[in-house]
Amino acid sequence: MKGLVLPLALLAVAELCARTLGIASDTLAAPSQILAACWDVIADGTLPLRAGQTILAALGGLALGGGLGLVLAIMLGLSTPLRRLLRFPIETLRPIPSIATLPIMLMVYGFGYRMEIAIVSFACFWPVLIIGQAAISGIEPRLLEVSRVLGLDFFARVTKVVLPAALPRLFIAFRQAAAVSLIVAVTAEIAMNPQGLGYELMAAQSSLRPATMFAMLVYIGLIGWSLNALLLLVQKHLFGFAAGSQVSP
Amino acid sequence: MTRLERLGWTAASILVGLSFLALWQYVAWRGLVSPVFLPGPDKAWAALADGFRSGVLTQRTLATLQRMFIGWVLASIGGVALGMLIGASPTARAYLGPTLEFIRPLPSSALIPIAIAFFGLSKSMVLGVVAFGSVWPMLLATIHGFAATEPRLLEVARILGLSRLQVIFRICLPNAMPDILAAMRLGLTVALILSVVGEILAFQGGLGSHILEASRAFRSPQLFAGVILLGAIGLVSNLILTVIEGRILRWRQP
Amino acid sequence: MANAVDIPGIAAADIPAIAFEAVSVTLGARPILQDINLVVGRGEFVCVVGSSGCGKTTLLRLIVGLIAPSVGQVRYGGRPVSGPANDIALIFQDYTKALLPWRTAYGNVSLALEARKVPRTQRPARIAELLRTVGLGQHADKFPGQLSGGMQQRLQIARCLAQGPSVLLMDEPFGALDAMTRQVLQDEVLRLARAGNASVLFVTHDLEEAIYLGDRVIALRPNPGRVARIFDVRLPRPRHQLTTREDPEFLHLRRELSDFIHETET
Repeated sequence: MKGLVLPLALLAVAELCARTLGIASDTLAAPSQILAACWDVIADGTLPLRAGQTILAALGGLALGGGLGLVLAIMLGLSTPLRRLLRFPIETLRPIPSIATLPIMLMVYGFGYRMEIAIVSFACFWPVLIIGQAAISGIEPRLLEVSRVLGLDFFARVTKVVLPAALPRLFIAFRQAAAVSLIVAVTAEIAMNPQGLGYELMAAQSSLRPATMFAMLVYIGLIGWSLNALLLLVQKHLFGFAAGSQVSP
Repeated sequence: MTRLERLGWTAASILVGLSFLALWQYVAWRGLVSPVFLPGPDKAWAALADGFRSGVLTQRTLATLQRMFIGWVLASIGGVALGMLIGASPTARAYLGPTLEFIRPLPSSALIPIAIAFFGLSKSMVLGVVAFGSVWPMLLATIHGFAATEPRLLEVARILGLSRLQVIFRICLPNAMPDILAAMRLGLTVALILSVVGEILAFQGGLGSHILEASRAFRSPQLFAGVILLGAIGLVSNLILTVIEGRILRWRQP
Repeated sequence: MANAVDIPGIAAADIPAIAFEAVSVTLGARPILQDINLVVGRGEFVCVVGSSGCGKTTLLRLIVGLIAPSVGQVRYGGRPVSGPANDIALIFQDYTKALLPWRTAYGNVSLALEARKVPRTQRPARIAELLRTVGLGQHADKFPGQLSGGMQQRLQIARCLAQGPSVLLMDEPFGALDAMTRQVLQDEVLRLARAGNASVLFVTHDLEEAIYLGDRVIALRPNPGRVARIFDVRLPRPRHQLTTREDPEFLHLRRELSDFIHETET
């Protein structure tokens, strides 16, 4: 596996440097130390606790923001006039960086889950809305005609025709939002919220425990990567195509 | 849809936006939500006006803009250059690809503690984080764009006898342009976010510090003014880039 | 001929433009072409017909040097082909993919001149002339996306002509175009080939097109591709869309060729 050559080589070099040069031990750590720290944080319960906090907040925000986004996406996707009317409000609110809502949520909720879930919701709402709306308005019009001919009421039409037809692209929107949820959750923890992996990362740095800091980094990357890989697998299994190499995270 | 119709809908949409604004004003006026948390648009506007008149907001906005822009430019140049080097070589792609794919979902803000460890809480630390963190979209887009060059065009290049450099700059790079430009827009968003986070963490002035201070002091009009400004920066910069992108890519069918 | 080799005793004019000597091509386990022996003389217009699976496209790619034969040798101007020779032009069937969408018609033709390192000052005149030759003089500033299928194919032809080719290889170039455009372009190609005294190898599905255009028609039989039969086309030049197609010799050849292809297919 060619892909492993470079990382392994770098790790070997780093390990060598650490042992022979004996570098400053409060900013850097040898790969072996990082590995040890990776194990330690599992053993002493830090990882399950922190990872659990981050994942919980991310999932909560994903469910809330994604759910709201989906509802609105359905409404806008099915109704062209509504979509056109809401274009301006959406385009003005969308560019607000989710991190900018952090101080607002901090003020309203203080530290903790609610603040983080609120921020993640804001961040997840937009991709689901934008991509979801495109997915739903892009449904083969013939299908909608058929559902009308069959006399399905609105709810039945949505659940039996609209959602299944738009599902592949909706899943892509969901994947996007899931990635965002994790990133924003960790970012909120790094910036402010004293819980989760991001917080532990910052705490390790400020208490000069570089091995733990890098271990946290490894786990953040691992969780992000495995979530992505898992969702891609599900997508391939359900829909049989891999939209793998997209540019946007 | 005719031009007139489009204009009509846009006007209607702006009206909808204004009515949301009116709703917000109403909610604030009736005190349905505590004014500590939700200031009326009139108060937020006043805070905006005051901030610019006194120069405080001007200075802070400029600080954030500068940080975001410089970091993004550095990231774009570096990302595209490195992307070209990697993208032009199938061997490099094979060896580096999986590592880059692993790094991709990593939040760029996770770099901040490491940057703090090395550079301390300084201006250059934030700039470094912005530049390094925003590099990923451009880097990956360039690599992907190069890898996805139409094989037929590469055959044409061989038949015509183009040199390797000519192939890279006259075929692979223009071919990757749509991806690269889209990534640059994304990179700008990331740069803005990282600037704000960096400012919050490192007390380096700018709008990040502004909104943090305002929230700590429960001064919601100032806070909202800052948030609005950040949204405005995001909106305007995206708009400008979209226009530029449209110009460069005008060969694309409408 | 640019690459003519001085073989003692043989005049340069007698060296065929293209020669296949016992060429076979195998990809993996699949034989694509088997024991191909054929020759294209200077200034000759040779058409190649055959059903799918005959390796017609492979034939062209061997000449232009994109593939190497597994057995045997392909010669260009007497010399073995080792890589793309810049004065062999290949016109692809999927013209949209073979053009640079981000460059105008002018820019696309320019690409060939840039490759040949033609001085910048000489390019505008050359490009204008080439575009005029293929009838795109008014469209120099348009992007391929703004051109019709026929115009895009003409643009590709213009770019190939910019190479100053001695050999034109055409891979079902008019297959995706409507009948009217096809006829117009057929005559264009005849005119251009005659003007440049180029040797042409023209691959097509269309039997009538092959007879109309060619001096000879080579029929391939499929799986693997082999030369089944070579037909001489004894029709007067210049050819005319209406009169030539009504010539009894044309109809006779058409019948012969059609029967032959049917036999080989069953």
